[in-house]
Amino acid sequence: MQEGNAFDVELHRRVAAGDDEAFDRLYRRYGPASYALALRVTRQPTLAEEVVQEAFLSLWRTPEAFDPARGTFRAFFLSLVHHRAVDTVRREERLRSRTQRAQNLEPVRGEDVAEDVVEDADLVRRRERIRQALDALPAEQRQVIELAYFGGATQARIAEELQIPIGTVKTRTLAAMRKLRRALSPEV
Amino acid sequence: MTADHERIEELLAGYALRSLDAEDAALADRLLAEHVPSCPSCRRAASELQEIAGELALAAGSLAPPDLLLPRIHRATERAAGSRGSPHRSPLLVLTAGLVALAALGGLSVSLGTRASEAEAQRGTALEILSVMRSPGTTPVGLDPQAGTPAGTGFVEVSAPDVRRLYLASDACPDPAPGHAYQVWLGSDGTFVPVGEMFRPDGGVVLLELVVDVSRHDEVWITEEVAGTRPSSPRTDGGHSWRAALP
Repeated sequence: MQEGNAFDVELHRRVAAGDDEAFDRLYRRYGPASYALALRVTRQPTLAEEVVQEAFLSLWRTPEAFDPARGTFRAFFLSLVHHRAVDTVRREERLRSRTQRAQNLEPVRGEDVAEDVVEDADLVRRRERIRQALDALPAEQRQVIELAYFGGATQARIAEELQIPIGTVKTRTLAAMRKLRRALSPEV
Repeated sequence: MTADHERIEELLAGYALRSLDAEDAALADRLLAEHVPSCPSCRRAASELQEIAGELALAAGSLAPPDLLLPRIHRATERAAGSRGSPHRSPLLVLTAGLVALAALGGLSVSLGTRASEAEAQRGTALEILSVMRSPGTTPVGLDPQAGTPAGTGFVEVSAPDVRRLYLASDACPDPAPGHAYQVWLGSDGTFVPVGEMFRPDGGVVLLELVVDVSRHDEVWITEEVAGTRPSSPRTDGGHSWRAALP
């Protein structure tokens, strides 16, 4: 899991010291993945832009929120983007009448690397590995992960949509995460 | 692994995916603050699950953000800091009279127990509150005293999108009745869950930091309850009370 992380940590250290160039480099490195994730979860370009902007602004404003001792910068920052995206979707849902999130779900490979994005090799390789690991999950476990992570659905909502007990949702979630952990080991 | 740890890991998995419902999320927040830091196996599990969640993000693909987004972020950071070279400091902000609740979202947080002393914790909480209040994007919302609660003790709730904490601050909080204390509740679709321990003001002053994910809720309510009890729903038959919708 350390590949590329030392570089990220150094960039983060420089951002904390107020280095504009390091901030822009982190944006170039994680902006495309962040935008794709935010768009996947929110399904609206305007909301996705807001999510990415807020995540990078948060990084700039409170860089101390990342503690290198607790994990990689990549996991920290992309989780921040994900949380913002899910929170945005849930707020939007509260404001509007509840929508059928399931209708918005598409396969994980819905967005691929755009031609005009030049990504670092380590991110490209990691994307391939996590996609392979997801593909290798039993269908019912993959479905729960996709509804939760990319659909922004709570476990109760997933149970309702799939018409299964919430305990089964929890069991499948943990089983899937353990399989992903094994598949990605020793990187994670 | 014990059944308890199996259950904890189940919660942590849902937590990493941000898919827990309000009650489980509150439980996970409490575990992360109270149990996980001192349990090596849970700490490792939490860290690994968080790493997997980060990897899952990559599966969404890669899309070039709009060209104007980075300049917009630059402008936002400039507004946030006055200058980009000193982004994290700004002049002293005066905490106005009344009660202030600051709700914020984001990554895992530190707990009060990690602080060296109560006085230091109070100072740290005050500084965090001021820091959040200075942050751009915060949204103050009036939190109204309910029937039987003196006017002029209204809360102001402020949301900031980067820290997963709820702050409560006051310099004019009335004392609860003898044998009573205040309880914070967060509600979602009319269902409320208690958040944190009950508290009492110290000479009208309240400075509290609660580890909680405010984003899962749409309402905040503070009620006066019988001290030492664990009520399952907010009291509606009297006592001081403040309530408001979350943004």
